[in-house]
Amino acid sequence: MSNDGEPTGVGPDQPFWTHAQQLEKTPPCQAQCPNSGDIRGWLGIIAQREKTGLSLEQAYDQAWEKLVNLNPFPATLGRICPHPCESRCSREAKDGAVSINAMERFLGDWGISRELSLPGLGDPTRVESVGVIGSGPASLSFAYQMARRGYPVTVYERRDLPGGMLRHAIPDYRLPRDVLDAEISRVFDMNVALVTGVEIGRDMSLEELRERHTLLFLGLGAQVGRRLGVEGEKGPGVVLGIDYLTQRKQGVRRNLGARVVVVGGGNTAMDAARSARRDGAEVIVLYRRGREEMPASEPEVTDAEAEGIRFEFLSAPLRILRNGTTLAGLEVQRMRLGLRDADGRQRPEPVRGDTCILEADTVLVAVSQEPGWHGVDGDGPGGKWLHTTSDGKLAEDLWAGGDDRGPGIASRAIAQGRLAAEAAHAQLRGEPMPEPWTSRPAVDSAAVKPDYYRDLCRSPAVRRPRDEWLTNPESEIDQTLTSEQACGEATRCMSCGLCFDCRQCFMYCNAAGFTRIQQAGPGRYYALALEACEGCGKCIELCPCGYMESREGSGW
Amino acid sequence: MITRTTDGFGQLGERSQALRSKSSMPLRDGSRIAVIGAGPAGSMFSYFLLNMAESVALDLQVDLYEPRHFCHRGPAGCNHCGGVVSESLVQRLATEGIALPDDVVQRGLESYTLHMDVGDVEIATPLHESRIAAIYRGNGPRNSEPMDTHSFDGYLQQLASEKGARIVRQLVSDVRKHDDAMQVECADGSVDDYDLVVLASGVNSRLAKSLEDLAEEHVSPALTKTFICEFRLGKEVIRETLGPSMHVFLLDIPRLEFAALIPKGDYATLCLLGDDIDEELMDRFFGSPEVARCFPGGVIPRHICHCYPRINIRTARPPFGDRLVMVGDSGTTRLFKDGIGAAYRTAKAAARTVAFHGVSADDFREHYWPLCKKIDADNRVGKFVFWVGSLVQRARFARRGVLSMVAREQQQSAAPRRMSGVLWDLFSGSAPYTDVFLRTLHPAYVGSLVRNLVAANLPDKNRDLPRDPGEERA
Amino acid sequence: MATLGKEYKDREVIVRQGEAGNCMYVVQEGEVEAIAEVDGREMRLRKLGPNDFFGEMALFGAENRSATVRALGTARVLTIDKKSFLGGVQEDPSLAFRMVKVMSQRIRDLTDRLAEHHLKG
Repeated sequence: MSNDGEPTGVGPDQPFWTHAQQLEKTPPCQAQCPNSGDIRGWLGIIAQREKTGLSLEQAYDQAWEKLVNLNPFPATLGRICPHPCESRCSREAKDGAVSINAMERFLGDWGISRELSLPGLGDPTRVESVGVIGSGPASLSFAYQMARRGYPVTVYERRDLPGGMLRHAIPDYRLPRDVLDAEISRVFDMNVALVTGVEIGRDMSLEELRERHTLLFLGLGAQVGRRLGVEGEKGPGVVLGIDYLTQRKQGVRRNLGARVVVVGGGNTAMDAARSARRDGAEVIVLYRRGREEMPASEPEVTDAEAEGIRFEFLSAPLRILRNGTTLAGLEVQRMRLGLRDADGRQRPEPVRGDTCILEADTVLVAVSQEPGWHGVDGDGPGGKWLHTTSDGKLAEDLWAGGDDRGPGIASRAIAQGRLAAEAAHAQLRGEPMPEPWTSRPAVDSAAVKPDYYRDLCRSPAVRRPRDEWLTNPESEIDQTLTSEQACGEATRCMSCGLCFDCRQCFMYCNAAGFTRIQQAGPGRYYALALEACEGCGKCIELCPCGYMESREGSGW
Repeated sequence: MITRTTDGFGQLGERSQALRSKSSMPLRDGSRIAVIGAGPAGSMFSYFLLNMAESVALDLQVDLYEPRHFCHRGPAGCNHCGGVVSESLVQRLATEGIALPDDVVQRGLESYTLHMDVGDVEIATPLHESRIAAIYRGNGPRNSEPMDTHSFDGYLQQLASEKGARIVRQLVSDVRKHDDAMQVECADGSVDDYDLVVLASGVNSRLAKSLEDLAEEHVSPALTKTFICEFRLGKEVIRETLGPSMHVFLLDIPRLEFAALIPKGDYATLCLLGDDIDEELMDRFFGSPEVARCFPGGVIPRHICHCYPRINIRTARPPFGDRLVMVGDSGTTRLFKDGIGAAYRTAKAAARTVAFHGVSADDFREHYWPLCKKIDADNRVGKFVFWVGSLVQRARFARRGVLSMVAREQQQSAAPRRMSGVLWDLFSGSAPYTDVFLRTLHPAYVGSLVRNLVAANLPDKNRDLPRDPGEERA
Repeated sequence: MATLGKEYKDREVIVRQGEAGNCMYVVQEGEVEAIAEVDGREMRLRKLGPNDFFGEMALFGAENRSATVRALGTARVLTIDKKSFLGGVQEDPSLAFRMVKVMSQRIRDLTDRLAEHHLKG
């Protein structure tokens, strides 16, 4: 209805109807999650447990099971994921986003403490054998999804332990080893064999493996750190951040000296900086753009600052300065943000004549990582990224996922492994591809009504005292939510786009068009008799979560 | 939960004991009351109860449950009615010290215009004073542009809140007896105990229906379907076509008891009452030239908001139990007219019972039930009056007689306004139906009507008043 | 147009002392003043604002207005009919609570003023 001009005159035989219908929609958290996690689904099981007659334990168990359907590593991701899901939470403007990441961690820890097994899908054991190269999140996600569909899986890992970057790069203070071990071992409790110490292109050729298995998945990662390419870089004192982190995880302590400069603004740069700080150095981070543009997650940056790490934004290394061969420091070029490039990011450009000198004993370079495998696609170290179809297919029997397809967060790697498994399974069985979650419409943010919901503050993260962070350097800073906090957080979910039994449609429909479903559960509480609808639209307006909406061609 | 004993009145002492000694369930300091539904009945109950409790230094906790926000536009924030506060209610509220604020009153009404096939006639208020308030129960029609106005229900809820009622934004899903207390359960699973539950959720909520087994031998009100819709006409058009007048249609359409068009700011509310309003009836109504005539250019625009609210046509029986009382539509209301007035009357009677007597079924039977029965009895007279009215609607000669009598009365300011008064009170809901009916038995009324029936139906071409548009068509 | 009651212009008389009356009034908006006319001289009894009532004695038996009330600036005033009021009180005596309270306060004020006057005199 336009607000200007006279209303159009139409006959009374065309009354203004808006027939209602129930339609599940994609909530913003799921839309933002690279793995399209059913966050609303597993939070709903906990929040609505009393309506469905579940005890708290049963609810946690079922929520965990729903969660691990898509992500077999909730305790891990609940610690390291930068949780883009929380960025668009409908609750944000009311009293803060739901602590989805902390909830994932809570459920992950719950699953570990209860020694829950990853759920199979009841499929028969199949004959097609599956090989997986690499054992990072993408590979293990693929292995898990294939194993639960009945395929025997063998994972080949060049190191002695599986886990990829999760195990070899992420510092213990962010991800304790026992947590990772517990979650990874669950995958190998299924019909998944592990062969370690085998590197493709060195110990075994790709063709050999293709012969051995019906289907092969490449989760090779991108473990070679990129160098700066500036004068003086070659020589002692300049170390790749990823190498430093990997060695540190293996227990190799490198003498960094008192002053460390970290170059880069991603999460690897943050891990390197904070690890160096734990090793006793004064740390400065150089980043060529501003704080807003940093790819590292905001809490990581804040915590790094709290630990005494200094940030030099809009600064890029110009050359490495040496006293003979000994590292002396770097010359820094000041930058400013210029024109936007094709991605819409402002390109940093040097401010002519504005340079300075930073003294340093070690420079940690953490600007980017590249593929570094042998024997695939004929490339040597620093080879090309793999270019697959959107579901990860390289050839009929060859699939890939993870950082070998381009750098990304762990959640994206897990998603790629899962989607490849779903597609590979459909191909092997000659079945149609499963319906993608994106086929459901997104929730219209205007249809969600935060003022309906009770005010409930976001549970504050429980953290170890600030002064213990560096004195006890390998202990986790963040603690897991208590069960009470977890229940509270689950209740905060507004269930955008799916019925959670607020009862208003049922209660206020003038025509009594809604009946309660006997076997009720999240998303299934009321049936609407379409023929009873009187078209007033009240249920649509009342529905606080945007589940009710107008039927096509009926007014508004 | 507070434990009550019949012998202990705590610190209230002799005064309260004397005041409430007859009840087996008196309230005392700290007693908790749940009022379910913050429509006019619930809010006014809370407001008056807290007022009365204050006057006898009784400290009560009143929780007023309402999940909806009356600041929302469209049906979600609306309690669905024509939105007319009758003359008598406007006056009573003013007497209580409640002057409806300007932003709540969409328009003050000064007259009624009666539309019949035999002609139109305007019935003005005695002093040409705005004595009736056209209001919105919610915050205006769906998609209406933000207006400088406020919801009537929202205003009353605010009064209750300022008096000390705690607004609980939760949908009550169940009420049950639990030992000596009443338990209120919300849709989110929370449960709370109360000494008294006041059901004011109306008849357009499922709650009352689902509680049928709560009060012994309780029978829910009987309902019928009505139709209400909104037209956006604009202030200018409304001033020119409808004016400060409520337009009432007396048409020969079966099952249609009452139809009115009520101007409000930029909008006009159409309200159809009768026996299960359906599309066939609506088609006939919208197809009537008397209706089209009220709209600019004789074209009825598309309505922008509509609903089919249910109204009660039979009182709940009995509308109370131990620690339970139903007020407003949940209990009883006036037939077709002045539902808000009935909500006020029942709410206040219940509040008086609770504050000065107690909360047992016996207390309500003695002090609350009589009012419900009085309203009920008057409704039976009302049914008869509406039946007579429907006879008039069906008989063209009778319509002419009525029109002629009103027109004459309105022309001569000094003349007794017998027919005008009867119609005014009937349509505005300002007087009990019994009152209206008794006046029609007055010999002067009967005499005048007979004279007008004869005069209006004589083939007298000199008849000056009023023009009969049907005549030209015939 | 939105408001209720009837609008009176500045100094317009709403009720006149000595005239018959059968209703009371409640101020909706603006101010009015109650004036006693004694031997052609005016004495202001009180000023009244929104929600204040006047002319209530007409409801309880007094047949003639005891004072003149006129608008102070533009004022809007609502009429309360005697019949409607008494009908209401008959059903719900507490309807008169507020009026009784205000009227007793007015008597107290008058008593005070009388005493003051007496002492001064």
